[in-house]
Amino acid sequence: MKILQPPLPKELDAAQALRYMGCTQKADPATEALLQKAEALLRPAAQPHAVWMECPVAELPLQNTGSDLARHLQGCENAVLLAVTLGSGTDRLLQRLSATELPAAVAADAAASTLIEQLCDEIEGELRREYQARGLYITGRYSPGYGDCPLALQSVFAAYLDTGRKIGLTVGSSGLLLPRKSVTAILGISQKPVTGYRAGCAHCVLQKTCQYRKRGVSCEQE
Amino acid sequence: MNRNDLFTRDKYVLLDGGMGTMLQARGLKLGARPELLSITEPEMLTGIHREYVQAGADIVYANTFGASAKKLEGSGYSVAEVISASLACARRAVQGTGALVALDVGPLGELLEPAGTLKFEDAYRCFQEIVIAGAQADVIVVETMTDLYEVKAAILAAKENSTLPVMVSMSFEQNGRSFTGCTVESFAATAVGLGADAVGINCSLGPVEILPLAQRLCQSVPKNFPVFVKPNAGLPRADGSGYDITPEMFRDAMAQYLPLGICMLGGCCGTTPQYIGYLAQITKGKAPQDTKPLQRSLLCTPVKTVDVCDVTVVGERINPTGKKRFQQALRERDMDYILAQAVDQESRGAQVLDVNVGLPDIDEPSLMEQTVKALQSVVDLPLQLDSSNPAALERGLRAYNGKPIVNSVNGEESVLRNILPLCKKYGAAVVGLTLDQSGIPPKAEGRFAIARRITEAALAAGIPREDIYIDCLTLTASAQQEAVVETLKAIRMCKQQLGVRTVLGVSNISFGLPCRTYLNTAFFTLAMYEGLDLAIINPSSSEMMAARAAFRVLTNRDAKSMDYVNAYAGMTTVSTLQAAGAAAPAVQAAAGGSLGAAIEKGLKSEAKAAAAEMLKTMQPLEVVDGHLIPALDRVGEGFEAGKVFLPQLLQSAAAAQSAFEAVKDAIAAEGSASESKGKIVLATVKGDIHDIGKNIVKVILENYGFTVLDLGRDVPPEAVVQAVRESGAPLVGLSALMTTTVKSMEETIRALHESGLACKVMVGGAVLTPEYAEMIGADYYAKDAKRSADIAKKLFGVN
Repeated sequence: MKILQPPLPKELDAAQALRYMGCTQKADPATEALLQKAEALLRPAAQPHAVWMECPVAELPLQNTGSDLARHLQGCENAVLLAVTLGSGTDRLLQRLSATELPAAVAADAAASTLIEQLCDEIEGELRREYQARGLYITGRYSPGYGDCPLALQSVFAAYLDTGRKIGLTVGSSGLLLPRKSVTAILGISQKPVTGYRAGCAHCVLQKTCQYRKRGVSCEQE
Repeated sequence: MNRNDLFTRDKYVLLDGGMGTMLQARGLKLGARPELLSITEPEMLTGIHREYVQAGADIVYANTFGASAKKLEGSGYSVAEVISASLACARRAVQGTGALVALDVGPLGELLEPAGTLKFEDAYRCFQEIVIAGAQADVIVVETMTDLYEVKAAILAAKENSTLPVMVSMSFEQNGRSFTGCTVESFAATAVGLGADAVGINCSLGPVEILPLAQRLCQSVPKNFPVFVKPNAGLPRADGSGYDITPEMFRDAMAQYLPLGICMLGGCCGTTPQYIGYLAQITKGKAPQDTKPLQRSLLCTPVKTVDVCDVTVVGERINPTGKKRFQQALRERDMDYILAQAVDQESRGAQVLDVNVGLPDIDEPSLMEQTVKALQSVVDLPLQLDSSNPAALERGLRAYNGKPIVNSVNGEESVLRNILPLCKKYGAAVVGLTLDQSGIPPKAEGRFAIARRITEAALAAGIPREDIYIDCLTLTASAQQEAVVETLKAIRMCKQQLGVRTVLGVSNISFGLPCRTYLNTAFFTLAMYEGLDLAIINPSSSEMMAARAAFRVLTNRDAKSMDYVNAYAGMTTVSTLQAAGAAAPAVQAAAGGSLGAAIEKGLKSEAKAAAAEMLKTMQPLEVVDGHLIPALDRVGEGFEAGKVFLPQLLQSAAAAQSAFEAVKDAIAAEGSASESKGKIVLATVKGDIHDIGKNIVKVILENYGFTVLDLGRDVPPEAVVQAVRESGAPLVGLSALMTTTVKSMEETIRALHESGLACKVMVGGAVLTPEYAEMIGADYYAKDAKRSADIAKKLFGVN
């Protein structure tokens, strides 16, 4: 098991954050300024933590977790369980802005969602390099809630990683991760090159309302 | 050892070492519950406990760390069964040895409100169940906590349901804060105040990293208050193979703790009986040394500790006296208005906030609790709970997270009798007014006599001297001019002869005279010179804040005048500013064009100025219906057409809101009732805390003139039904952002239908679709905020 306190990604993917804010075309200067202001508030408040561990897939209770996850882990005897959070300070900032400065709250929420995905990408990249050095390959990350994989699996991952004690991450009764800006995921480890199979749109719960589908792309492609 | 000898300090008390890691070494599987082994493998547990006792442990922690209802769910065993079995395992191990058994209470595993969905009262009930089931233990240890609110729930549950000693330890990161941002000092001040018998630090870090934090802890508790440490066996190794400190390194690191004055020590994750054996060696024949506490008057929230050692500003504005708009907000339970006041005072330099929600015709206890919870979810400043109603004080004190101050008691016996015990129980500091049933003594000596009486009563009630703040009372110079110096004299007498802190509400002095600021600042400066510690003022008054800043320079407290220079470099003085500033709003209103333009451009202060200008010649209703709402309509149409995006819609909404505030102020000042286009209840459903979408809907609906009752987040179905019943609102808006909480939405709608109340329901949230909305029984699907306004307008028959 490894516990990390990684730095925030150096540069925010502003285009992605603006998309989360509902700007599907080029944003006006006022909106871009709002995003910059939100990012300036967010960076000192965020305290990223991550924990990961390797364990055999057979030791995980994945019996009723859908076909998408099974397909994703095909050919993988072992897996990496990963949990990442931007910390409680981020939540406190978002809560405060939500009550006092709604435009900034929307921007900060979008920036935080973007940053944690970027952070997960960076950690995943680091993991891939580490495993490659050992002659192994890892899939992309798959989170509970994708495709037909139940959200309830989050509690299992959190329990195995002891995220409460290690990085202050808990799972609420409805499967809500707290602090809010957090991710749990599994990556398959294989001796052969694998990419995993994230999800098909066919099984996804957000099929009818997905913003990506409306634009003719998928979350995988973005 | 007798449980009464635990804190006598004639020898060190040894705690045990890690249990989880010992069990893992004996085959405990990943993700399995260690507590169940007390039932399935009791001999293994007893064996481990015995090893620790043989190594020298005076207290063994029973295997109950995760024995809470939530964590045991689905295990097939109850809290009582697991705790009973675990205590029995420990009891067998200590039989005939004199070692004690501790009920180990770990975190519940769910985040408490406001960040999480677990209510304080529910956390209390969980801990209550654990404490009652663990009655056969010798001592209660609450450990590995990271949330101060959870610590409070646990301590209260222990103190109110047991007579066992209570030891409490939190886990910190190297920066001296827990995962939820709680500082070492805030933990110390709060836990000691709530009646913990010992405080400590455990887990997360090794002995080297915890040492400086332990020093801070020893400095923050009363002299020789029991402090304990239980570090991990160092930090986790990079290769994941365990912890990086050997038993010998652990021993040497722990020896560094003895001079700090700790009196109990043990180990946590990764430690074994061997580690404890070494602790026995280094403490053999020795007695705990004295601690060296810093004498401080502290007030705190988890993330902010205020050391009242310098003139400390208490913001006075959350108080309905003489403020019509504020009174209206209280009656409507408009938390947003109160929060805006709080945030504004914080931004102007207030360090503590006075909270007074007392009105004759409202339920003050309930409102006090609601206000305290709302404030502490958004503002990090400690609060001064201001009420003469003991029931309101109690509700506020119980809900408060940290160490507050109570305003106030006075010299009357009945008041002292009713309120001092509350302050003691909840660890609050207390303000004492130097008046009694005979009134306010005219001379300083008379006020000092009451101050002495109050101080003695507080000390007798167990409240430490550093938590006593005496208010020598500010009368008005216009009516009692000769009494002004008596107040100042009394402050000096209290500081010199009683060793207490002093507090004053300063602005009273100038009541009835012109140019009040001149008198306020002069009196404030005189009072500071006599030793005023807490100043209850309006932080928006730049003159008062400047007087304090100047005082700190002149008395050499602001080293090298750095704070002063940072605050005032490049600024012109206030009087010059005022002359310039007076011209600005008119300029803005004229140049910015209309209210409509300001709203469309999303310019908040321009919109407010434009509205204020318009209200001089127009009726409020005309400003709203003729200008404000049409502007919003234009922005909304732009949003639908894809020309205006959400951030711009929000900026415009914020500008409209600001203009609306000017309108509401005008209506309140007139004394007329504000016209509402209709009532709407809004809530984010149970289990869900996403509220940005709901807040956006709220702002838009309010801007259109609807009265919105915002129930907040994580709202159970019953609360929604009750709100509809009490308000008669014909429309309910429900928000949910997770696939799992859409179920709560369905339950809420069902509850509303079953209640027979005549109301329609609109639903919104990213995971919803029109089909799903229909399936769960909603009347309308609102795909965005604009749509929700359209639905409301149609329903209420508004154009």
